[in-house]
Amino acid sequence: MRGGLLGVERALFWTLAFAAFAAAAAGLAARGADRLAVDYEQSRNAYAIVRVIAPDGPAGMAAAETALASAPHVTSAAPMTAGRAAALLSEASGEPIDPAHVPDLRLIEIELAPASSHADVSGDIVAALAAGGVTAEVIEAPDSASGGGLAPRVRNAAFWGAIIFGAMMAVIAWLAARGLAARRREMVTVMCDLGATRSETAGRIADEAAVLGLYAGVAGGVLAAVAGVIVLLLAIPGTTLNTLPSMILPIDLVPIAAAPLFTAIIAGAGARAAAGQFHGEAARLG
Amino acid sequence: MARPRASIETDLFERGVLVRLSNVDAGYGASTVLMGIDFEARSGEVNLITGPAAAGKTTFTHLLRLALPPRSGRSVILGVDVMRARSREIADAKKRIGYVAENPVFIEQWSTFDNVAMPLRMLGQKPRDYAEDVRELVEFVGLGGASELPVEKLSGAERRRAAIARALAAKPNLILADDPTAGMSPADGRRIVKLLSEMRRVGAGVVIASQDDTLADVAPMWVWRIDRGRLSAPEQTEAADAEAYE
Repeated sequence: MRGGLLGVERALFWTLAFAAFAAAAAGLAARGADRLAVDYEQSRNAYAIVRVIAPDGPAGMAAAETALASAPHVTSAAPMTAGRAAALLSEASGEPIDPAHVPDLRLIEIELAPASSHADVSGDIVAALAAGGVTAEVIEAPDSASGGGLAPRVRNAAFWGAIIFGAMMAVIAWLAARGLAARRREMVTVMCDLGATRSETAGRIADEAAVLGLYAGVAGGVLAAVAGVIVLLLAIPGTTLNTLPSMILPIDLVPIAAAPLFTAIIAGAGARAAAGQFHGEAARLG
Repeated sequence: MARPRASIETDLFERGVLVRLSNVDAGYGASTVLMGIDFEARSGEVNLITGPAAAGKTTFTHLLRLALPPRSGRSVILGVDVMRARSREIADAKKRIGYVAENPVFIEQWSTFDNVAMPLRMLGQKPRDYAEDVRELVEFVGLGGASELPVEKLSGAERRRAAIARALAAKPNLILADDPTAGMSPADGRRIVKLLSEMRRVGAGVVIASQDDTLADVAPMWVWRIDRGRLSAPEQTEAADAEAYE
């Protein structure tokens, strides 16, 4: 770049930087949505309710609690009190419910450890209860109702949304690079007149666009990273600069790392295509 | 730079025949502009192609600078048989041709020096290797004082001089100038043609296309008349002011 960036080149640089920023920010947002969805699904799957069928009375509940204390997958178990049930029902219905009106419940809330997808969690717990002389059923979160299946849909939407948005930004970067090639049209004509081939001419312009794209991508990626850190600090209570490193996975950095690379590639390719076309127009006589 | 392959064409080139056209037709789209052209240019000689407007002079220079392919006939330029050559050979030959367009195109924001150096940069030379040569060349065409000026600031005659300097920078075998005196005073025009003709002394072949047939007495040269796409046999002239070169 001769003598720094002037006029149109500066505008093109910031257009590319904006495209890189927007694409990287969309990528970070998608990663955020993905992690929220995974956490949501894990917390859904980590909870179940055991309904004690037999023996009747407090003895059945006590036996069930004892059996659950050593049952596989179970990390904690607590009988559902009338107060707890009333609170849950009030939350679900939106109307206050008096615990005194809640009938005697034979339910135990359990928290579960993460299990492999092949594991029969309910069957293992029912078997453990049966070994303790208790007949019970385990009620897990439903697969399709009450938020079931939401996480995969959110993850898909976040992924494809980021891809589509990234593609739109790629189109903007491509068009901006064509603008740079148009700006270099007189150089294309000069090189053509001096005998440069189409690939030599296009390569010269593409190199310049790729370097511009690389710097713009770095600027856009850094801006997106700064914006991401600010959002995390503001959106999650208790987050500090010291806690941030432990919250960020290596894969979360992919959009930032990819921004310069993809911006350079797209800008180079866009400028190469345009310069090749301009060279063809300059060379076309017969 | 790749040398032409050993062949009759190479032999021609080594014998100093830079261009040989035999019964060549050329044109654009459906229209045929040049018909039955026979032409030869040798190293160390100046050729003036002269004729009225729209006679085919510019098309002729496009043919010689390998920008316009011939439709028929045989065209051997710098040892390359144009109709049989691969694009790489054509591209290499183009780099050995210095071309001064009627309206030369420059990178306007670049300095005269940088524009003149462009062919050398394209050949991969480093500024430290070509700086002195380019400076001398810019002086030679009389633009020493404008070397660092952006080309957009040059006058029409200065732009033409800069175009000549650029065309000479890579020490081409063949120099083509399309109407290099257009829009200039007669004195300026003659100076430009003298400048171009000087290149015959370093072994280059020079072909100048111009409406002005009085340029024929600027230097010893072959004068070819073109009219309605047909080229007549050449006449050899002596320079009226030949002493200016001695």
